[in-house]
Amino acid sequence: MDAKIFSEIPMRTWRWLGVNEARVPENLSDHITKKQILVEAGQKDEVVLVNREGGQHEVQVHIADGAELHLIHAQLAPADTASTSRVKVYVGKGAKFAYTTVEAGARHTAAELTVDMAGDDSQSDIWGFYFGDGDRRVDLNYIIRQQGRRTDANMQVRGALLGASEKTFRGTLDFLEGSKGSVGRENEEVMLLSPGVRNRSVPIMLSHEDDVDGHHAVSVGKIDENKLFYLMSRGLDLADAQRLIVEASFRPVLDRITDEALKEEIDKVLQGRVANG
Amino acid sequence: MAEKKKTYIEDIERTLYDIKDVDHSVYKAHSGLTEDVVRDISTRKNEPQWMLDFRLKSLAVYNSLELPTWGPSLEELNMDDIVTYVQPDAKMTGSWEEVPEDIKDTFDRLGIPEAEKTSLGGVGAQYDSEVVYHSIQEDMVKQGVIYTDMETAVREHEDIVKEYFMTLVPPKDHKFAALHGAVWSGGSFVYVPAGVHVEMPLQSYFRLNAAGAGQFEHTLIIVEPGASLHFIEGCSAPKHNVTNLHAGCVELFVKDGARLRYSTIENWSRNMMNLNTKRALVEKDGIIEWVSGSFGSHISCLYPCSVLHGENARCEFTGVTFASKGQNLDTGASVIHAAPHTSANINTRTISKAGGMATYRSAVKVTKNAPYAKCSVNCESLMLDNLSRSDTLPVMDIEGDEADIGHEAKIGRISDEAIFYLTSRGIDEEEARAMIVRGFVEPIAKELPLEYALEMNNLVNIELEGTIG
Repeated sequence: MDAKIFSEIPMRTWRWLGVNEARVPENLSDHITKKQILVEAGQKDEVVLVNREGGQHEVQVHIADGAELHLIHAQLAPADTASTSRVKVYVGKGAKFAYTTVEAGARHTAAELTVDMAGDDSQSDIWGFYFGDGDRRVDLNYIIRQQGRRTDANMQVRGALLGASEKTFRGTLDFLEGSKGSVGRENEEVMLLSPGVRNRSVPIMLSHEDDVDGHHAVSVGKIDENKLFYLMSRGLDLADAQRLIVEASFRPVLDRITDEALKEEIDKVLQGRVANG
Repeated sequence: MAEKKKTYIEDIERTLYDIKDVDHSVYKAHSGLTEDVVRDISTRKNEPQWMLDFRLKSLAVYNSLELPTWGPSLEELNMDDIVTYVQPDAKMTGSWEEVPEDIKDTFDRLGIPEAEKTSLGGVGAQYDSEVVYHSIQEDMVKQGVIYTDMETAVREHEDIVKEYFMTLVPPKDHKFAALHGAVWSGGSFVYVPAGVHVEMPLQSYFRLNAAGAGQFEHTLIIVEPGASLHFIEGCSAPKHNVTNLHAGCVELFVKDGARLRYSTIENWSRNMMNLNTKRALVEKDGIIEWVSGSFGSHISCLYPCSVLHGENARCEFTGVTFASKGQNLDTGASVIHAAPHTSANINTRTISKAGGMATYRSAVKVTKNAPYAKCSVNCESLMLDNLSRSDTLPVMDIEGDEADIGHEAKIGRISDEAIFYLTSRGIDEEEARAMIVRGFVEPIAKELPLEYALEMNNLVNIELEGTIG
């Protein structure tokens, strides 16, 4: 792979669209933070990873048969930094992987998530939120490979873009041969809040198995005017009404964070950004 | 656990299309692509210098471009083996009686003259590299409608052709557009003057008979302001055991307030590489409607593109793809919103079976100049067994905040709940499954001209017993 390419989609498309690869951000520090997480069979764990300094982060996760992990990842790096994260997850038989991720910091961030649902009856529940403002670049590539029988994958991503920010989200559900009885859902909702933003969405679904049920949806647009009208008719001014609606969109992701202090910190960061945007 | 029953969907009946004629061509270019071949084609067509220059420039572009890095592998295509120009033993005529017997028989079998009598305003028929028949109803000629083969258009309407030819799909677009620019031959030219509504559809039918040959027809349609047209394109070829290549090009210009419906049923044989490029430029208040059925070929790469260039321009795309054994059909659509208040609606269905590979690939691009753009995409895929593949790869690229874009895709098999519901209403299981498959393609079938809808129903023939999948 080209040294400047950080991550690729599993199936290439037209080059002019510029979505085949997520590039390595410029000015990325050489510092690599590595972490391994092993959840033994039958165990249950929750791990919180907060990135406040940027740089490269690599996480390897093994969830043994029947185990459960909730991995919470918050990227809150300073606005003058670059950040990458690469999370690789193995999900064993009957195991459950929950992932809550917030991408709200760094000037340029690239993130790759690869989930191998190797075990029968394994589950993945991915909830992500990204926020772009100023000239921020957010480049995401999430891939769920459903290999076991009767696996259940859910990928829910919400985002808001302000200023001159740009974001690319690639989400792949890959039903491999043998994944009989599996289901997969992927949904991305993007709110466009400024005329200078650019949004790229790439919802990919690959199937080599007929006995599956896959569904993906993307919706991209401005804040629903009916919602704005309703809130303003209740006395809120435009800015407050907008803030409330944006907050409502990331609330389901935030509510999964059990660490109250972290939740409050992220909440404040996002509220402040929306208000300033 | 009991094995789930599966519906057997018959392969498309191809007997009619696979009848080969004896090769009566009067001239065949050398196989391979060289400057001599290109010059030879141009000389035989007695073309003006600018067209020869265009061909040679395209050849240089072709030689400079690489094969695409995405989509189905094209490695088995060896241009050295492809004969780019095959001249049939027939002169272009406006009289069906003058068409040579064996060629006439071929088109008779395909029902072309019958359709002309009953429901068409004009017909063109291309056999290998040349158009052998073209006709148009007299009252349309009186209204100024031009419907002729491209070679005649280059001679008799040179200014119009020169203004539009390969401006929408320039040779630099991709390797096969460049190939087309170098060796194009045949195809249809349609010009509908402002305000003229062509009441009955025009239809061009393309037949590639020669083994190891390429067909590179060019279709150029200009619908002037306030005019309307329905154009139908049909393609087929008999099966040979060597690779045939189709790299046609369709350029559609839909002017202010004009409307164009472009319907295609493509049923190339299973040795065909179908690398076709279709593009429409739609001006203010104009409407392009694509209806596209992809059933044949070994490999297809087909993504009609609509450039919504004028305010309120609109695109409706309806497509169905059926990939069976030995087929890799990579189809879809792209829309470029380049003006305010433009809207698009893309609706596709794909079916894959018996090891067939079906890919839905699309792009929706909203430029900064296109506030209030709206686009809705819906693609559904049905897999009838686990030997097959079905992939969807849509991309949305939106600049600015005044856009409303929705995309939805589903993939899966025939649902047990639907079967249960229908059987609980007294319908037996096989019929229930058959109904579901018919219902799956119904939104597309209803957009087709009647005779094509009937053809498609025949193509997707459901057998009521069996166990595939």
